[in-house]
Amino acid sequence: MKLNNRSVVGFTALVIGSFLIQACGGASQYFGKTETPRDNILRYVSGSEPESLDPHVSSGQPEARIYMALFDGLVEYGPKDLQPIPAIAKSWETGPGVDTFIFHLRDNARWSDGKPITAEDFVYSLRRGFAPETLSRTASLGYFVKYAEAYNSGRVFVRKNGRYITGSDLDGTPKKQRAAFGPDTEFDRSLRDGERITLDADPKKREKEIETDPKLRAAAEGAEFVPVSENDIGVEAIDAYTLRISLRQPAPFFVGLLAHQFFRLVPRHAIERYGKQWTRPENIVTCGAFKMQRYVPYNVLAVTRDPMYWDAANVHLDGIEFYPVEELSTIMNLYKGGQIDAMLNHSVPSSWIGDVRQYKDEYLNFAEAATAYYSMNMTKPPFNDIRVRRAFQLAVDRKALSDFRKVTKPLNDITPDGIFPDYDRARAAVADASRAKAGLSVEEWDRKHGVDPEAARRSLTEAGFPVIAEGNGFACPTFPTDTVSLTFNTNENNRAVAEFVQAQWKKNLGVTIPLKSQEFKTFLKDRNELNYVGFAQSLWSGDYMDPFTFLGLHYAKQNDGGSGFYDPKYDKLLDDANNELDPQKRYELLARAEAYVMDQLPVVTLTVNATNWLKKPYVKGMYPNPGTLHAWKFVYIETDRSRWDRDVEGIMTGSDARVDQQLAELTSSQRGQ
Amino acid sequence: MVRFIIKRILLIIPMALLVVTLTWGLIRMAPGTFYSSEKKLPAAIEKNIRERYGLDKPWYAQYGLMMGNVISGDLGISLKYEGQAVNEIIGRHLPYSAIIGIAAYLLALAVGLAAGTLAALRQNSFFDYASMSVALLGLSIPAFVLGPLLVLLFSFTLYLLPPARWGGVSALVLPVVTLAAVYAAYIARLTRAGMLEVLRSDYIRTARAKGLSERTILFRHALRGGLIPVVSFTGPALAGLLAGTVVVEKVFAIPGLGNIFIQSIFNRDEPLTLGIVAFISILIMVFNLAVDIAYGFLDPRIRYE
Repeated sequence: MKLNNRSVVGFTALVIGSFLIQACGGASQYFGKTETPRDNILRYVSGSEPESLDPHVSSGQPEARIYMALFDGLVEYGPKDLQPIPAIAKSWETGPGVDTFIFHLRDNARWSDGKPITAEDFVYSLRRGFAPETLSRTASLGYFVKYAEAYNSGRVFVRKNGRYITGSDLDGTPKKQRAAFGPDTEFDRSLRDGERITLDADPKKREKEIETDPKLRAAAEGAEFVPVSENDIGVEAIDAYTLRISLRQPAPFFVGLLAHQFFRLVPRHAIERYGKQWTRPENIVTCGAFKMQRYVPYNVLAVTRDPMYWDAANVHLDGIEFYPVEELSTIMNLYKGGQIDAMLNHSVPSSWIGDVRQYKDEYLNFAEAATAYYSMNMTKPPFNDIRVRRAFQLAVDRKALSDFRKVTKPLNDITPDGIFPDYDRARAAVADASRAKAGLSVEEWDRKHGVDPEAARRSLTEAGFPVIAEGNGFACPTFPTDTVSLTFNTNENNRAVAEFVQAQWKKNLGVTIPLKSQEFKTFLKDRNELNYVGFAQSLWSGDYMDPFTFLGLHYAKQNDGGSGFYDPKYDKLLDDANNELDPQKRYELLARAEAYVMDQLPVVTLTVNATNWLKKPYVKGMYPNPGTLHAWKFVYIETDRSRWDRDVEGIMTGSDARVDQQLAELTSSQRGQ
Repeated sequence: MVRFIIKRILLIIPMALLVVTLTWGLIRMAPGTFYSSEKKLPAAIEKNIRERYGLDKPWYAQYGLMMGNVISGDLGISLKYEGQAVNEIIGRHLPYSAIIGIAAYLLALAVGLAAGTLAALRQNSFFDYASMSVALLGLSIPAFVLGPLLVLLFSFTLYLLPPARWGGVSALVLPVVTLAAVYAAYIARLTRAGMLEVLRSDYIRTARAKGLSERTILFRHALRGGLIPVVSFTGPALAGLLAGTVVVEKVFAIPGLGNIFIQSIFNRDEPLTLGIVAFISILIMVFNLAVDIAYGFLDPRIRYE
């Protein structure tokens, strides 16, 4: 068998040789092949195959980035900070109660087939999004719009003697008439005239609702039930280029929400003509900076600059090719081979990060509006005991965890640090006041809210699970580790974090929590139905740029926090904050609500995620903003090597004359308001 | 022979339906739904979705509907990719898998047959040991290791071939070679074993005694018998290759059926999963039948009654 060995040696030599050649040639400034594409077309890996090209249907981020090329909305995400910038709406005004908004549309916006875009298109688009038969999975984001929730969930108004019963009719309080904003119309008056009550459309369930409330029973007697229709929701075309949106409550962040895919404009004429088939490449009509060119599912979706687009003169790229690739190492290979120019966020596998970080002109590691935490099931013992929850929160060294993860930062609260600077200040002020009130020093306060193994052990002992010293460490023999587990969805990174945290708990509390890895959908079901004991991994990306997108995780009975936390007092604090019209005061109230929920500790906080992706240095105008959502018309390919990006660390604070000027021109229409 | 074929074809239908039924049961046992995500859906929306897709009906009604679809040949509409028919999706992605699969198989056949035959003819020679060692390597290195190694060598060291994605002949080379490696190794070893056995058999000795040339003996007589194990391997192998190979398609980002199949399971896209399962199972059974028929031509000793 000598020959066998020889051939093995030969093959190994070949492989090692190729590694060596690789290593020797690796001193380049850039990661792999770096040449500007010849055709001014950006090649971008967009992640999983888009579920649908209908912006009302899909809720995913890979789709969001494609929609941003194909569909415009009233506003667009700002390239650096995701704050709303004018799109089809050239400007907007906010009503005195921050619950009504008037949008002034530009008169030169057109669909890709040349048809003009008017306010009626937005009315249609929003009504379609909320229509129950559209089955939009993101419609709940728009529930701020008056009666949108009732329409979307198929509820009915109660009408008696020709008029609708309102909330104030029931509780006898004087009817709250909202201040008028904008032209007086009959529809607007009907919206301002108190909040009508709505009931379930299903007669049996409606009966139940009525049964429980005597006042309601009296009001509903002899009344007719009128289904909430698309004509009832708070969207109105005042004229061809003026749109009014009325909300059910003040929502200062509402305009920022409007760049979300759910609010982007869909073409009535194409949808009515082709039905579900309207998104096919041969049928689709779009209104974004780019239009459909070629679509081969699972291979490429190519879009090309749309000459009909109202701002076509300021679109720099001739086209974009979106490649749906999910395999991380394949994405890296494509990048290294120069076959793509940029990739979606979180594409660099953790084993590559160490090597890739040194490419300072390409690797983008910035704060992200996304948090990682472990939900604790508060409905099942022992985690229904705050002392147990506190013990586990205090026993995790988040700083060490972040260092271990390389690209993240510690998460100390519900809302991530560094994303909303004004909110961070408000939160610090609230914390300072509480600290002064408690008479604690800064160090004591930080320890109380950071890592404090001693206090953690004390807390667990007080909860009835004594932690005892054993050898060099600790043990907690009575803690029910046979029922408790740390559940996460199968993924290399998730496992690494789970093992790290498990080790911390072992070291600090003497408890070894068993790890449980589950396939994603199986995991989601268990987590959402609170079908776990102990901890469930949670990741949350903000839907819009306001702390409420994080604080709302634990709001209302049916929430996405994964802990089973529900506290009317917390809901009240958040409602009060959102009813506050002064932004800084609102932040202060939100910060108080956050302090309140952090006292209850529904979660073990872990890390603030960070962006983790690469772009070639010649791709400009594309930023690692907190959602890595790119307004494509700002993106351009720089052929002049001397102007390529150098050290992207300063990319968010530095200036790019081309982008800055484009942004200034675009936002001037709104600043004039 | 004709009766045998008809009997087998008639068997394929209930077998395929059985496979589909079992798959349906398995999918139903998997927790989670195609619409579940980190964000909980409001109850009313969830109810609408369940009604639209018939998920509110009792299980036997759903099973009946699904079976009706499968029997009629219309596999329904994908749950995940709105408005796309399952038939259309399979038809769209099959060619990618088929091109790579057939190319890989032809390559494997060429390399495997040549190496296996030569090794058998020169048993215990340098070539025999060398080729069988390489074959052993080919069998033991999984595609997810071989693929990246080839990428490292040909894309990032020699800069000859693109590392991934569909497009152009050059993009086909690496996935085809990766895929072919294991099959070539199998075929080489099967051919060698088959040939060794045949070369020692009585009828070859007779042929030699009759004074036929080595070439005639090899091509007219030995190869036919020696290929039988290869042919029986070809049936399921080719069916599997046509239906897509998950690992290679993932590593090289090829929009083939294997890639879609795995995604459909993660997406809980029931009609798509069932459609692909039905398609693959029929494909395998048809290829097996073809193999059985081919035996009759290759080996005069095999007769079907």
